[in-house]
Amino acid sequence: MSLVRAEMERLSARRFVQLMVVLLVLAFAVTAATTLAGSHKPSASELISAREQAVEARESMEARHQECLARQEGTLPSEPSGYFPADCSEIDPIRQDRLPIAADYLPGVFSFAEQAEPLLYFLIAFLVLFGFLVGASYIGADLNSGGVVNLLLWRPRRLTVLATKLGTLLGTVLVLALLASAFYLATFWVIGQTAGLAGHLDGDFWRSLGAVHGRGLVLVLLASASGFAIATLGRHTSAALGAVAAYAVVWELGGRLVLEIVDARRPDQLMLSSHIAAWLSGETKFFDPQLCLGNSADGYCEGFYSLTWGPALLVLLGLTGGLTAAAFAVFRRRDLI
Amino acid sequence: MSAVIEIEGLRKTFHSLRNGRRVAVDGFDLLVEAGQVHGFLGPNGSGKTTTLRALLGLVRADSGRMTVLGEPSPELLPRVAGQVGAIVESPQFFGNFTGYRTLRLLARAGGVPVSRVDEALDLVGLRDRGDERVKGYSLGMKQRLAVASALLKDPRLLILDEPANGLDPAGIREMRDLMRSLAANGVTVLVSSHILAEIQLICDHVTIISRGRRVAAGRVDEVLAGHDRHEFLVRVAEPERAVELLHAAELTAVVDGETLVVSGVSDATVVSRVLGEQGLWVGELTPLRPDLESVFLELTGGYEHPSVPRQVDPSGPQGEAVIDLDRGVDA
Repeated sequence: MSLVRAEMERLSARRFVQLMVVLLVLAFAVTAATTLAGSHKPSASELISAREQAVEARESMEARHQECLARQEGTLPSEPSGYFPADCSEIDPIRQDRLPIAADYLPGVFSFAEQAEPLLYFLIAFLVLFGFLVGASYIGADLNSGGVVNLLLWRPRRLTVLATKLGTLLGTVLVLALLASAFYLATFWVIGQTAGLAGHLDGDFWRSLGAVHGRGLVLVLLASASGFAIATLGRHTSAALGAVAAYAVVWELGGRLVLEIVDARRPDQLMLSSHIAAWLSGETKFFDPQLCLGNSADGYCEGFYSLTWGPALLVLLGLTGGLTAAAFAVFRRRDLI
Repeated sequence: MSAVIEIEGLRKTFHSLRNGRRVAVDGFDLLVEAGQVHGFLGPNGSGKTTTLRALLGLVRADSGRMTVLGEPSPELLPRVAGQVGAIVESPQFFGNFTGYRTLRLLARAGGVPVSRVDEALDLVGLRDRGDERVKGYSLGMKQRLAVASALLKDPRLLILDEPANGLDPAGIREMRDLMRSLAANGVTVLVSSHILAEIQLICDHVTIISRGRRVAAGRVDEVLAGHDRHEFLVRVAEPERAVELLHAAELTAVVDGETLVVSGVSDATVVSRVLGEQGLWVGELTPLRPDLESVFLELTGGYEHPSVPRQVDPSGPQGEAVIDLDRGVDA
């Protein structure tokens, strides 16, 4: 326990950690301030008008769907009054992800219900970056400066020391992420209540937001552990940064290009970014024209395939677990000079 | 006396893509007994720090047996780590921490009462500067802080790698007094240093390492005695004539400026008698005792020619004679 306390003090005293927290607060303050400045409480007439426009838009969608069905059944003249898909269910309002609502017709009005999720994604992205960089610099700088050696002279148990450092990092990042996200969402909720629109905040909304939040926190922890593990393997903070840059350029860009040239099937599922997106959103669809090759001429083929959160989580856990296990195995036997 | 540190046959080889294989320590032995202030000497690159790192579990030895306070190291080092204070080279500390906070952090990590921090700062002379940030410390103050970190545990064994680095003459003297005081209180001290005069003043025992091997070990006075050539500096009115007379008496003598150096003489009265019988009266007759520096340079091949830049210890064993005062001589 004393080692954990000492490590927490060391972590919180790091200038880089303090700088990242300041950046987080700054980004948060700028986002909140610009949102507040660009939003106003809608008047009663604005609300009535927006609701009417939303109703009209929904009715228009329904009418268009009915028209599409009528043309397929031949009950309407053949001259089309616009584009209609071959499959009318594509424009069936019931099958849409979302229908027009009043908030869509309130320009300059912040709606918490509509904006909470995108705002949360922004926060998660920042926290992922924060966790990765802090995780890498925490151990990287200590290995490079001799801080770890100093600690091992006091506690000559390598695995205990490294595990304590990792545990302290993950615990600290988790607490910070929880506090930051709670404060962040609460602030925008207040903005919505006082200078905008709260929106429809029912149980489904909170469940959906909670799920994104929970998945985001897991991603933040995985990023922190990965940064820590790569920097441990490479002995330097820069090793983690270099590894990420190399992966992004070599595989996400170069590899993707090569896979497209050789007409590989489902190239996106080989990319880490696809799995991150699938984990965060629950499911992500990717287009692959190769999937439609060989289909009969009259057969319908969308060419889409999806990645879901379950397999995506396995990939992310496997990668992070592998890196962490390798870091511990190498650190256990490494010469510290 | 019981052994506090025992190293037998320590061997460590480093491998790297750029430099290939390099033998840093090759069958090195070290014995430090309780209550000793033991000097550990060797040229740059001779394997001193590698030996200390291996002893403290920071590098993995290829082979050899090591014990610290009776426990095999590094396997059971954690059992006695609380009684071993060590600094290896110059440890780095957070620049934005104060000296006090630095030590408090280490005390917490090691389960040592925080009350020891003030005592340790006091011991190394940093009591009044403990509230200042480490980045404002001079090299000598950082070195004092490092020594304070090693003293925090109130150790039975203190291992100090170059503790005098960066210290001014007054600081070196304080460090010497501190080590003497610790030794007087029963702390065993193993200290590596390049300041040979300091080692000679502080240490009662010494081990010299060169090219990864032990080349001398034992009590300081015994090591020096082992290299005593029984030489005397003689001042007479006619040096050339004196040399002829001494040669005639089957003594080895050479002229050195206005003086003579006579070698291989166990009894100084022989010189004064040989010269006095021929009417040459001796003005000065001084025994030339070896100091640790001359022994060190002789054993480690450190002195070649003033105009030739000396290279750091090359890696790997060179097959030189190993003089072991405890165990005899082996090749």
